[in-house]
Amino acid sequence: MIKKTVTIKNSTGLHARPSAALVKLAGSFKSDFYIHMYGYRVNGKSILGVMTLAAEQGAELLFEVSGPDEEEAMEAIVDLVDNNFGMSDE
Amino acid sequence: MQQGGTEFRISGQAGSEGIAIGLAYVLNQSNRSVAPKKIKALQVRSHIKRFQKAKALFLEEIEELSKNLDKATREIFEAQKHIVSDVEIDDKVIRLIEKERFSVDFAVFETFGEFIERLRESGSEIFQQRIVDLENLRNRLIDLSCENGKQKKIPKKSILVVKDISPTDLVNFYEMGISALVMDKGGITSHASIIAQSLDIPCVVSAKNAVQHTSTGNHVIVDGNTGSVIVNPKTETSEQFKKRSRELTKQKKAILHGNEESITTDGFVFHLRANVEFTQELDLVKKNKAEGVGLLRTEALLYGGFEKRAEEAQIEFYSKILKETKGPVTVRLFDVGGDKLNIHNQDEDNPFLGWRGIRMLLDEREILETQLRSILKISGKYKGRVLILVPMITDVQEILEVKKVLNAVKNDLKVQQIAFDEHIRLGIMVEVPSVALLASQFAKEIDFFSIGTNDLTQYTLAVDRGNARICSLYQHTHPAVWQLIHQTVYAARNNKIPVAVCGELAGDIIGASVLVGMGMSELSMATHSIPKIKHHLSNNSQESFRQLAQKVLNSSSAEQVKAEFKALFSQ
Repeated sequence: MIKKTVTIKNSTGLHARPSAALVKLAGSFKSDFYIHMYGYRVNGKSILGVMTLAAEQGAELLFEVSGPDEEEAMEAIVDLVDNNFGMSDE
Repeated sequence: MQQGGTEFRISGQAGSEGIAIGLAYVLNQSNRSVAPKKIKALQVRSHIKRFQKAKALFLEEIEELSKNLDKATREIFEAQKHIVSDVEIDDKVIRLIEKERFSVDFAVFETFGEFIERLRESGSEIFQQRIVDLENLRNRLIDLSCENGKQKKIPKKSILVVKDISPTDLVNFYEMGISALVMDKGGITSHASIIAQSLDIPCVVSAKNAVQHTSTGNHVIVDGNTGSVIVNPKTETSEQFKKRSRELTKQKKAILHGNEESITTDGFVFHLRANVEFTQELDLVKKNKAEGVGLLRTEALLYGGFEKRAEEAQIEFYSKILKETKGPVTVRLFDVGGDKLNIHNQDEDNPFLGWRGIRMLLDEREILETQLRSILKISGKYKGRVLILVPMITDVQEILEVKKVLNAVKNDLKVQQIAFDEHIRLGIMVEVPSVALLASQFAKEIDFFSIGTNDLTQYTLAVDRGNARICSLYQHTHPAVWQLIHQTVYAARNNKIPVAVCGELAGDIIGASVLVGMGMSELSMATHSIPKIKHHLSNNSQESFRQLAQKVLNSSSAEQVKAEFKALFSQ
């Protein structure tokens, strides 16, 4: 199992669309993916779980990934968050 | 006109433009609560089935409804689809039915309730808005699983008054012919407003207690421009609004249906083209009468995974775009990197100054060759209409390299006797100051320039527009940017090659005025900007734009540019 802390940077936070992107990506890996925030632990493959964290800009999340492709999954997921969920302003 | 009661006004916020006059239809869906009901062991299977059927029906509904809608609305539906298909929902509902023996309606109610409660507790303003969505979704699923999913029929031309409404319901009611929407809740960025805009019906949101104060059958006027609702209007008031409404319709028609020609009052002909990324945007391209596609972004092909990068998938994409548009289509090669996507997931300290655009493509030859081959193949079928645009060029050497690769691919096709447009035009993006400064050198090697004003602004002013602290420094009408554009236009003219613009500057009234004033006739912009730009350009003279351009080149700040524009164009 690997863990990593990330900070949400985009202005709308983990809103519907970013949540959908995150869940979709997480779903493409075999590993289990959980998110911890303020004492909650939610299934990172569930859009409702992720959305109802109500993580706003600046929120710190702890990602927990475990499974056969955990390294790869964590890298991809952290990348998505760092790239503001692939959404550009253009 | 028969009038009942005294006139009064409810003020809210303007959710979607336009004026509607008609009879109210008040839909008061009280907050639903479902009592816990236990079922027998024998019923478990049928209740689980009912839940799964409700889910399937809901997904079907959404699929059907989102067919002809624009991108913003489709994305809302897309998120709803994800929520309904959520694993957690499935697990919980089925557990509640199987283990706790609750009826399907209560199981759904309870499951959503938990998530809604969590959002409520979060106290976050923007997430509070999503509670309404979840409640609506929950109610719809309950209705569908109890087989009373049939929609209420409401008379055509009704003005729908609701507390709040789900995207699905709104589109359904629109198809029944409602003429406007008034909503107690919601803000101007709520789903209801976005969808009302895309359906082009007037909408007032945050109309406090509208549901309480109006009854079905009341005469109502909805003014989606000022955000007010007038109930039981006096005859004079009605007449006044009818006149306003007629004027607005006339104006809108003139703009939308292209009664205006793309020519300034003194005879300068211009072409307004569309920036396009997805095939779903093509309806809007037609509706707004774009003359071709001035910038076709292709990055979406990369996000779709390896299958979508394949030649067949690319050709299918380009061919759809070409088939459904008229005029030229400028295909920009994959412009990835920076904020978008890194193929090798390398961490870069400075992605905007890193491995992106043509820098990446020249390293990843196979991607470049496949894309060039796909574009060339489709150009054979649409000779003269396809142009190739190379992003993120900073050095003349790079364009020489690209030409070498292009020629090699052309030769291969010749050997294989595959048809392509021999005279296909090759151009570069002017989005880095070095290209504008050396424009006359670049001009000798290519067939056209296309100025990407967003990145050009960002690189010239050293401002990341995504950085909230400094984004006010991002000013695409800054004189420094204009100097670079001017220099590019000058070099292009000397070398007799065309120059187009494909950034947000082209869709900005001030920006478009100065660009035409500098003699540019090809502007490509977000499709929805076309009518307003066309209206402005065709109702003024190029001479007035030329005067503005001259003043702009002598300005020292974006504020001054704005002031010069105001002095010349505000009546």
